[in-house]
Order: sequence, then structure tokens, then C-alpha cells
Amino acid sequence: MPGLKDVMESVKESQVWKSVARNPLPSNARTRALAVLNNVFLHLHPVRAPQSGIRLKYTWCMGGLTFFVFLVEVITGILLMFYYRPTVEFAYADIIDLREQAPLGLMRELHRWGAHTMVITVWLHMMRVFMTGAYKPPREFNWVVGVVLLLLTLLLSFTGYLLPWDQLAMWAVTVGTNMARATPFVGYEGPGAALLKLGDINLVHSADDVRFALLAGRFVGEATLLRFYVLHCVAIPFVATILMAVHFWRIRKDGGISGPM
Amino acid sequence: MADTTKEGVSRRGFLSWLGLAWTAFSAAMAASGIALARFMFPNVLFEPPMSFKVGRPEEFALGVDERFKPQGVWIVKTTKEIFALSTVCTHLGCTPNWLSAEQKFKCPCHGSGYYVSGVNFEGPTPRPLERFAVFVADDGQVVVDKNRIFQYEKGQWTDPQSHILLS
Amino acid sequence: MIKIIINWLALPYMYVSIAIVLFFLTIRSRKLWTGKAGGLLLLGSILFLAYSLTDEHFRGLVTRPDNVPIVMLLFAVGFFVWFALKQAHENDERVMQGKPLDEVAWKDKVFVWPNLVYTELICMVVATIVLVVWSIYIPAPLEQPANPSSSPNPSKAPWYFLGLQEMLVYFDPWIAGVLLPGFIILGLMATPYIDKNPKGNGYYTFKERKFAITIYLFGFSIMWVLLIINGTFLRGPNWNFFGPYEPWDIHKLVPLNNVNLSEFIYVKFLGTGLPKHWFFREIFGIALVVGYFAVGHWYLAKKLLKRFHDLMGPVRFHLMAFLLLVMVATIAKMYLRWTMNLKYIIGISEFFFNI
Repeated sequence: MPGLKDVMESVKESQVWKSVARNPLPSNARTRALAVLNNVFLHLHPVRAPQSGIRLKYTWCMGGLTFFVFLVEVITGILLMFYYRPTVEFAYADIIDLREQAPLGLMRELHRWGAHTMVITVWLHMMRVFMTGAYKPPREFNWVVGVVLLLLTLLLSFTGYLLPWDQLAMWAVTVGTNMARATPFVGYEGPGAALLKLGDINLVHSADDVRFALLAGRFVGEATLLRFYVLHCVAIPFVATILMAVHFWRIRKDGGISGPM
Repeated sequence: MADTTKEGVSRRGFLSWLGLAWTAFSAAMAASGIALARFMFPNVLFEPPMSFKVGRPEEFALGVDERFKPQGVWIVKTTKEIFALSTVCTHLGCTPNWLSAEQKFKCPCHGSGYYVSGVNFEGPTPRPLERFAVFVADDGQVVVDKNRIFQYEKGQWTDPQSHILLS
Repeated sequence: MIKIIINWLALPYMYVSIAIVLFFLTIRSRKLWTGKAGGLLLLGSILFLAYSLTDEHFRGLVTRPDNVPIVMLLFAVGFFVWFALKQAHENDERVMQGKPLDEVAWKDKVFVWPNLVYTELICMVVATIVLVVWSIYIPAPLEQPANPSSSPNPSKAPWYFLGLQEMLVYFDPWIAGVLLPGFIILGLMATPYIDKNPKGNGYYTFKERKFAITIYLFGFSIMWVLLIINGTFLRGPNWNFFGPYEPWDIHKLVPLNNVNLSEFIYVKFLGTGLPKHWFFREIFGIALVVGYFAVGHWYLAKKLLKRFHDLMGPVRFHLMAFLLLVMVATIAKMYLRWTMNLKYIIGISEFFFNI
């Protein structure tokens, strides 16, 4: 009778296992290095890092948590898209069905509380970076990328706010987008907009200003719902993913995890 | 230094061609950027009609008529005139509530308040509510035309189309 | 009785003043409260929360599903500010005693597998558990279907924008919604290029970066987080102020007859009535705003922060000074509204240009 150890041993010797794992389980310096180097996900990390930088006490793991919660949002978001239709007719009912009818009935909760969590962790990550002076040379540009990612996080959450199509959604977005109406020069109620005219015709009015482009209409309606849906599910995550790649790449290129220079 | 004139293209000529090419490239990029921005402005809107009939002038009681709030107007009748007030708060576009006990429009978002006339008197709003064009159609009904807006601070409330005078 | 006092302390100019004073006190006396006093502070805030939960109105407010993350945010920000300052203080002490920094003492390199990947795994597992439990116990809120013709009372922006929504009370939308957020983003992006202090790169310290840390924490904790708390818990129907234990009465009447600076001067002091042309009407306001920035820049550059001016050069310095002056002016305008009902310093509604 082969013991468990023998079974494990034969699995590890099999062609299938070897083709997937490429290296033996990490046990010494060489295999630990290989484990990180040869894995596409782990190779975000260097092989070795200063202990001061990877202690929880120092980083609070806030950047990592933000990325993890982003992944949670992507996964739950994809699952929600299977049941949700972004139309005035169906949106609200589909949200109710997500709790009442959809199996597990938990995806919207995970997605919403995850979104709140991501906003908080992103702020705390920024605070940690500031408090340790980790934006100082040579990491200036990565801090700028981080600020854009912070902004994108807020925009992701804001565009998602409209999708349940309830009163909270409608009015939060109405108030939020009405600020765009007051943008100087490009919003029709902003200072300077009245100056842009040809003869008697105003060039900037309620049907061609920056808010109109956001809402795809003069007020929050069907077209707005679709537009926010696309921004929320595709456009902003697309940009955020690219910037995240830049952000992570630059951590490595700008001297690895921050520590005393 | 290599003699470039031999090949028929001088150094200077090459640079000016290069400059032209880069200018053309930048112009093309800018143009496609503008085209992309234009794409975000729809040509056709699926919104409710901007102009509609609300009934005969004598059918309205004195005061604020809230029946047409879903279409975005309050019809206000005083002893002298009938006018159509926009239900969009001029602060940030919430819909104020008509408080008949206090005889004012009060916005729930940031507390702006307006008199029956639409003139603002409290809260953060910078200016009075807007009025829409109103006129009596051939069949005697009042027509509200939301395409034309009259603003108090521009002195437009004296415009004959901004109200219907009651004789 | 306690509730009445706390309700009174929660009046805007009271609690913002208290918060600002407390902020600078905690920065000054960080030695005290980064030690055991910090624990007492935490205990105190938990006791306060527990006591407050006996109040029906407060309980209703705090346990609203969408407000739960805000309570979490409050404790998280408190904890992490404490934690960061504690480590900063410890490092400052080490430097004073001639010992190496904590980060330097631990600078030896270790293998990422297993030292970091396991930490990350544990963090992920804990985060997953927290999210799942949270989701099971608190359903995501859903209100009535959207109805364009009736705004709920009060209508609030998403919680993380409540600080900006609060600004909307004091400023026109183009300032509160466009200019101020623009300055915040610009200021954050410019931070690494403005801050020329070579010290404090990559380790916790306070002493070596007093100015930068104080400004940042002030902006984050007072002007962002505190205003979110304010917007969530103290702003009720018709966007009126309510104390934490004061029930939200829709009919609470607060006179909001705000007066422009021009009316203060021409009508109240001079008694002449407003001039017809906007330029003469607003000349005092324009003079005040221009004067504030001119004198502010001069005073900061030549007197108060002369040291920085020499270190940073004029471009960096005046960019920083401008952002700083905007921050102070924002608070100043809020106080003017609370105490004098001042509406606009410059009010040219002819061009939608009001400050």
C-alpha cells in the first residue's frame, strides 16, 4: 500500500504537474527565488525585499488590499452583469431580483460594500504613502499615477451609483452631474459661457455643454443609464487597469517597496 | 559629415518634410480626438416633448398648480397673470417642493427657497427659478413651450411671451 | 443634559472650531497620546458611540446600511493617524538618542516567498471574510424607484463626495464642484514636486517633515473626513443642521436670509443703496479677494515662510502658497456664513460669477 507521501511524490514526478509548476515546491533559497520569478502573478514582486518594507506595521497592506478589493469588484461585477439590464424599464426590477431570485443573492451586497471598502483603503493607502514620504524622488511620478487611480476609484463608484435606478441613484447623480453644468466656459451655467456666442446665438447651451455629453441628454434618463453602465463596466475599468499596471511596474522600477533611501 | 545633397534630398529639405509630416500627424490626431468627443454628443434625443398644452386659463385656481410637475413645470396663477415656472432648482437641479403653508418653494437638496413668483430669497441658490414661454393657442388652451426660457436677472420676465396677462 | 450639551457643541462653528483646536493640540502633544493615552482615547470614543446608540435618532442614523462604512472610516482614519504618528514619534525618539531608524534596523532583505506572499494571503483571506460577513448581515440598500419629479428630502451625494456637497452650501457650483476638486487633485499631484525636503524619504517621521505632515493631515482629516461626517450625520431635511441627538424634523425653520458683502457695505454701513453697475457694486469684494491673495502671498513669502521660499524657489513656493491660501479662505468663508450670514463676497450673477 502506497502512503500519502508516495502519492504526493508520484504526483510531483508526473509530467502534468511538472509542466504546470515548472519548479519544485519552495524550500530553499533557489526554489523560493524561482517560485516568484517563474510565476506570472507573483513576479509583480521582487525575489527579495527589505524586511522593513514588507512588515504589516509599515505598509498596512493598504495598497495590496485595494488591488484585491478591485479584483473582488471585477468578479462580482461580471456576475452581476449576467442578471442586470441597464434600461429604465428593467434596471430597478433586476436589482430586486438580484436579491430575491438570483442564486446566493449576495453578489450585489459584496459589490456595494466592496466598493465602499475600496474607497476607504485607497484613501488610507495614500495616507500611508504620504506619512512615510514615499512620494519623494524617485517616486514622484508614481504618486501622480496614484492620484489618477484615486480619482478613477471615485468615478467608478460614482458611475455605479446610478445603476440601481432608485431615488438615491437618480438624485445623487443629478446633483453630481449638475456641477458639470457650472464648469467655466464649457458648462452652460458656468462663468464665461455667456461670452461664447455668435451674434445672438449662444454657443454653449443646455443641449451641447459638458453635462450633456455626460448624460447624453438634458436630464438623467435612459441614455444616461446606458452611458454610465458602459463607463462603469468597461471604460473606466479599462483605463484603471492600464494605470494599475503602470503603477505596479513603476514601484519596481523606482527602487522597489519604499524604505529609507 | 556625410554629404546629403548627393541623394537629392538636402538636410534642410529633409527636416522641413519631417516637420510637415509631424504637423500633419498631430493635426490628424487632434481631428480624431475632436471627432471622438463629438461622438459623445447624441444627435437624436428620446426625451418627452418640450411643448405641451395644459388647459384653459380660466380652469386654473389661484395659486400653484402641481399637476404638471412630472413635465417639469408649475403653472402659477395670480390675479394678474399666468406663468409657467421651471421645477428645476437653479442651484443644482433638484426638484423643490411647494410648501403651501409657508407659501414657498423649498429645495430639499441644499435648502434654497423661492417665493411663489420664483424669486429666490434664502439658501445657496444664486438666482430665481426660470420661467418658460406660455401663450394661448387657437383652441383657447394654454401652451407651455420649454424651449424658450425667461430669466429674471436678465430682465426677461417682462417679455410678453413669459406670461399670460389676465384682463 | 449631556445630549443637549453635545447637540449644542455640534453647531457648525462650534464643532469645526473644536476640531481645529483639537487637531493642533494632538499634533503638538503627540508624545502624550501616541502612548497609553491613545488607548484611552479609543476607549472613550467607543464609550461615546455606545452611549449614543441608546439614543433612538442616533441609532437610526448610524445603523443605516450606507452609513456603516462611514463609521468604519471614522475609526479607521483615527486608528491609522494614531498608528502613523506613533511610529513617527518612535523614530524621532530614536534619532534623538542616536539610534538608527526602525526601518534601517530592519533593512535586511528577506525572501518574498514566504515572507510577503503569506502576509498578502492572510490579508486577502481576512478581507474576504469581512466582506462576506458584512454582506450577509447588512443588505445593500435600495430606495423607491427613480422619480424625476420628486427629490427625496434630504438628497445626498455619495458619501465620499459629501465634503464637496457641503462646499456647495457656501460656494456656487463652479467653485465647489469644479474649482475646489480641481485644486485638490492638482495639489495632490503637485505634492512631490513642491515638497523639496530631502528628509523623511521612506520612513515614518514627524520632526523632519512637520509642515508637510501637518498640512496633509489637516486637509485629509478636517477638510475631507470631518465634512463627510458632517454631511452624513448632521445634515438633515432641507439641508438644515441637526445635532446628533436631534430628531430630523422636516418643518424645522432656519432663516437662511443670506446677505451679500455689497449689501452689507452699501445698505447697512453707507445707507446709499446698491450702485447700478456691477463693477462699482462689487468693488469692495473684488478688492478684498485680490487683496487677500496679494497680501497673503507677500506675507507668506517674505515673513512667515521665508525659509521655504528661499529653499523652494518662487514658482514652487507660490503654487504652494496659493493652494494654502485657498484652503484657509474656504474655511474663512464657511465661518463668515455661519456667523454673519454672508452670501457672496463678490456677487456678479450677471455672468454667473459669484465668490
